[in-house]
Amino acid sequence: MAAPEPLRLENQALPPSSFLRARTGPLTEDLVREPGRFGLGQTPVRLVPDATTTMVCGFCSTGCGLSIHMKDGHAINLSPDSEYPVNLGMACPKGWEALTPLDAPDRATTPLLRNREGQLEPVDWERALFLFCERFKEIKARHGNESVAFLSTGQITTEEMAFLGALFKFGMGFIHCDSNTRQCMATAHVAYKQSFGFDAPPFTYADFEESDVLIFIGSNPCIAHPIMWQRVMRNPYHPEIVVVDPRRTETAMAATQHYPIRPKSDLTFLYGLANLLIQRDAVNRDFVLAHTTGFPEFARFVEDYPPEVVTLATGISAEQLYRFADTIAAGKRVSFWWTMGVNQGHESTRTAQAIINLALMTGNIGRPGTGANSITGQCNAMGSRLFANITSLIGGYDATRKEDRAKIASVLGFHESVIPQQPAMAYDEIVQAVDEGRIKGLWIIATNSSASWIHQRQFNEIIAKLDFLVVQDLYHTTATAERADLVLPAAGWGEKEGTFINSERRIGLVKKVHRAPGQALSDFHIFQLIAHYWGCSDKFKRWTSPEAVFHLLKDISRNQPCDITGIQDYRMLDEQGGVQWPFPEGIDRCEEQPDQKKKEESFSKERRLFEDGKFFTEDGRARFLFSLPREMPEKPDDEYPFLLLTGRGTSLQWHTNTRTEKSDVLRKLYPKQCYVEINPKDAERLAIRVNDVVSIASRRAEITATAFITPTVQPGQIFIPMHYAEVNKLTFPAFDQHSRQPSYKASAVNISGLAR
Amino acid sequence: MIGETRFDLIDRLIAEQQYLSAVERFAQKHEQTNLPLQAKYYRDLIPLTKPGKGQQYSFEVDLDRCTGCKACVSACHSLNGLEENETWRDVGLIVGEREGQAYQQNVTTACHHCLDPGCLEGCPVMAYQKESETGIVRHLDDQCIGCQYCTMKCPYDVPKYSERLGIVRKCDLCHDRLVAGEAPACVQACPHEAIRIRIVDQEEISRQATANGRMLPGAFDSNYTKPATRFVSKKAIPPNAEAANAHTLTLQPAHWPLLVMLVLTQTAVGIYTALTGMELLNLELVSRIKLPVAAFGFGFLNLGLAAAVLHLGRPLGAWRFFLGLRTSWMSREILAFGLCAGLSFLATMVAWLVPAFPGATPLMVAASITGLVAIFTSVMIYVDTRRQFWNPQLVLGKFYGTMLLLGTAGTATFTAWFGANSSARTMGTAALVIQTALFFWEMSGYHRDLRNRNRPNYQSAMTVARLLPWFVPVRAGLFLLVTLLLLASCFDYLGQSAAWNSVAFVALLASQFIERFVFFTAVIPLRMPGGI
Repeated sequence: MAAPEPLRLENQALPPSSFLRARTGPLTEDLVREPGRFGLGQTPVRLVPDATTTMVCGFCSTGCGLSIHMKDGHAINLSPDSEYPVNLGMACPKGWEALTPLDAPDRATTPLLRNREGQLEPVDWERALFLFCERFKEIKARHGNESVAFLSTGQITTEEMAFLGALFKFGMGFIHCDSNTRQCMATAHVAYKQSFGFDAPPFTYADFEESDVLIFIGSNPCIAHPIMWQRVMRNPYHPEIVVVDPRRTETAMAATQHYPIRPKSDLTFLYGLANLLIQRDAVNRDFVLAHTTGFPEFARFVEDYPPEVVTLATGISAEQLYRFADTIAAGKRVSFWWTMGVNQGHESTRTAQAIINLALMTGNIGRPGTGANSITGQCNAMGSRLFANITSLIGGYDATRKEDRAKIASVLGFHESVIPQQPAMAYDEIVQAVDEGRIKGLWIIATNSSASWIHQRQFNEIIAKLDFLVVQDLYHTTATAERADLVLPAAGWGEKEGTFINSERRIGLVKKVHRAPGQALSDFHIFQLIAHYWGCSDKFKRWTSPEAVFHLLKDISRNQPCDITGIQDYRMLDEQGGVQWPFPEGIDRCEEQPDQKKKEESFSKERRLFEDGKFFTEDGRARFLFSLPREMPEKPDDEYPFLLLTGRGTSLQWHTNTRTEKSDVLRKLYPKQCYVEINPKDAERLAIRVNDVVSIASRRAEITATAFITPTVQPGQIFIPMHYAEVNKLTFPAFDQHSRQPSYKASAVNISGLAR
Repeated sequence: MIGETRFDLIDRLIAEQQYLSAVERFAQKHEQTNLPLQAKYYRDLIPLTKPGKGQQYSFEVDLDRCTGCKACVSACHSLNGLEENETWRDVGLIVGEREGQAYQQNVTTACHHCLDPGCLEGCPVMAYQKESETGIVRHLDDQCIGCQYCTMKCPYDVPKYSERLGIVRKCDLCHDRLVAGEAPACVQACPHEAIRIRIVDQEEISRQATANGRMLPGAFDSNYTKPATRFVSKKAIPPNAEAANAHTLTLQPAHWPLLVMLVLTQTAVGIYTALTGMELLNLELVSRIKLPVAAFGFGFLNLGLAAAVLHLGRPLGAWRFFLGLRTSWMSREILAFGLCAGLSFLATMVAWLVPAFPGATPLMVAASITGLVAIFTSVMIYVDTRRQFWNPQLVLGKFYGTMLLLGTAGTATFTAWFGANSSARTMGTAALVIQTALFFWEMSGYHRDLRNRNRPNYQSAMTVARLLPWFVPVRAGLFLLVTLLLLASCFDYLGQSAAWNSVAFVALLASQFIERFVFFTAVIPLRMPGGI
């Protein structure tokens, strides 16, 4: 192979250095760029890599491929991968800064144990593991196997989630566990499972580019998922973009239609739309007849939602409702997208299903540019939903079914009896059980519950009652770690191997490119150690490495909708730029297509579900599911007249900011202090001016925030970004009855100016 | 794992954890790829040709595609290897309302590579160069002395100072990437293709600057520097739209060395001028006290100039200051104060060594006149930034006011020390009158600004009221104290007039330092629309 020919630079615009004018020198050289090899283009000389490797980002569920610039085997920089099928060479700022939080000074580098003085002090792993097992065994012996629980995350790898779930239930013999995916994806999980027979988001990101109508409900991809919005911007069909959101968000600004419905009136709104679509005969009768059940009942049900009723509830005029319905009716490829505006609600499962119903009745599913599509939150929310062994039995099975238990037991080589049939409590039920003294030990992994759980003060009072709280995290400074009895130092994204599953069901690879500080260990290694110290490592003899577990998960997935037996190994994931499930053995060879090569190529890059109209229910039909809308549990009243909305503030911040606050660049780009968005009319009435420090009170707490006055929020509503920990002091603990997901976006508050 | 002791397992896993495997475990995909893989995404976003005569490169931002994700800022930071907290791009927000419909627009901005760059004009050492072929405004990092004047001169807040490096750096439009046919980092990285590079006619830039006034709500009048960037949108920006940070109050850097330099040099020139005035008016005993008082003035002057040097990140290159004389008030200030220091040194030396030689007085006059001119260059340094709080009337009043006040009070003190009581009384009285006039002028202006939202300095006044609430009471307190002390001195209360004068002078110095602190911290810098 010929040596790479350097690019010739012909920059003669500046004359050479002279005595009077120094055009070169050490400071100039500090920024000099040179051709970077590896297809990177120019790179600062200091940061020229000697290898590159691609891995998937560890923040959100978009699942972008990042090209890590390596020097001597260690990551020195990164840029978005130009060829990864998800992000096509782009990343949001969190992705660009993904390596920075790994070098933060407050990384936990040894286990920390709370001493008699109440301080966390370093201890060695031996002592930490011994104590971990001793305390939890003690509690188990005294209070039974329901007395210890874990709260996990959508941020660790699938293999680690599987290990944790299997270890805790099959190895340590406990029952109750949940994950922070309860806070973001539980609703989509339950809605899909009930409607389609399996938790199966049907879309592929190419659908963003192929729709002629895109409908975003409770979703602000411009800020929350910029790389998905990138795909919308690349749509060549000049699509109608419809946004349903109480706020005039960045996405609403970029849309062609915006419906600022009253908060939590979405169920009525969607039923009203269904009613109008039926009236206008926009129903795809053939599809409904062949592939669904329950439509006649649904059609009768939505008759009660004529425009006048819907207008009254939502504040959207009849004329606008007709326009929206016409847009759906006229669309040839209509896709529906929802995010947390839907998932976090007191009747969120039915709301998500109302969206699914619209897609089903208009036949907008299983074709390019269509679908009822939930945009996931965390990088591995999908991994958690399928393999965490929390709500469903590992691999999307049902622990109450004997054949499912038998299959898992045989694949994993356990005795069937170790699989508990009793369902695990949901997050809120675990918290309640701690409160009532039924749960005495809690193990929190890679989530910051003390900041993120709804009605924060109550949560923190409750966990103070625990006999033993273990927190496993990258940082010893999170609000939760600071309350722990024992902190286990974890290695982070980029310091370990494993896989994430993104919103479009793509399994992507995480690699080891950064050295973990001190004695921090990957969650995988920590679980290996706990298995050993607990005395159940014989059950996990085959769980030797993440890749070994991946092969186990493949076996588990056989003949499930999420069958991934066709994926050979990690190398294949690496070479393919991730693979979407399902990918059963032999799938890419047995398709009979005239242009076989092309078919295979596109198949391995992008795939959507339900192209054959067959769903995962027993009869292969999708269900129309619906219920009567209920009022929001805490409505604004005379005492607390404002409704508090929460949500993502910027693309720079992630969740409770534990990682994103570690980057100077990100920190520079988002507002440092908690702020509240107030409509100018309300601000004028309350004599609040921009940047005034105002007090916001709910029945649960009072906080202060800086006022930002903007008409993007409606009168009577205020908005505070979720990244500032104090906001969850205000939120009202209401939950969807099907998914147990908290309703973060509807709390009654009052607001007043403070003395200047 | 079988047969392994517990300690072995922990050690083995820690060792395994430290072993980085990514490169050896996975195949290298692009080992032989030399052409940039990103090119397919940005090919249409950069021009194929170089700018012709009378043309230059410019950024074009399609506002309808900018959603505020800020990937451009991060990408510029990472792909250009900037300092940990250094960013060359920024994203602001404009918010407004039209016909009941809310409007918000994110705006990505970087250097505008202006036709008449303010940074270049203000630089004392010609560390900026506008490339003739491309129009790119380049910063010569090794030429920079870190005086940071460009950070005040740029009406878009573009050049950024690095404490660690001691210099300013800024966007160079990735000039070498363009030469190699690659797109600048921000263009490569915008997920929505909102930023592109255009070749524009420089005449057109001029014409647009005159025709459109400002690029965006909150941006400064384009006629000043004629920025080349173009912001395009299909949606009209509502007339009531304003920057999200339009009402945000923040304290600007105090620039302590400059603050000290201004007060002390003005004191020194004041003392010279007072001394020269006394000499010309033939007031008592001047010849006896001239030398020590002039020496005090000389001390103040040099202390002030030494303080100014502390403001430079890389003072060793400051000898090149003369390069900027044609355009930079900073260069002119350095020259004028240099001359003033030289002349006053000569005058003092002559008066000391050859008291009989009549040259001392003309030298003193010359030093005073150069000093007065030097203060004018100081005034112009700030006036030339076009910042509202530094308008000519205010800066002239403050700087020459300080000179008169501290000059008279200082002379009063030092003459009193040497027993020239009637001179001291004259000067003390003058200081009393000047202080009263200055105080009421400043305070009435401040209160007028504070009361009326439409006054140009309303926001500066608000900054003082909200963020420096101690300022007015402290200054009023000092005003009262100094008034009493000067009165005591005039009436020779307890026969301690020199002591009263001395304390008054120290209190006045403190008061003027405080005033100058506010001068720097309460100014509203010119900049592009910022965020929340």
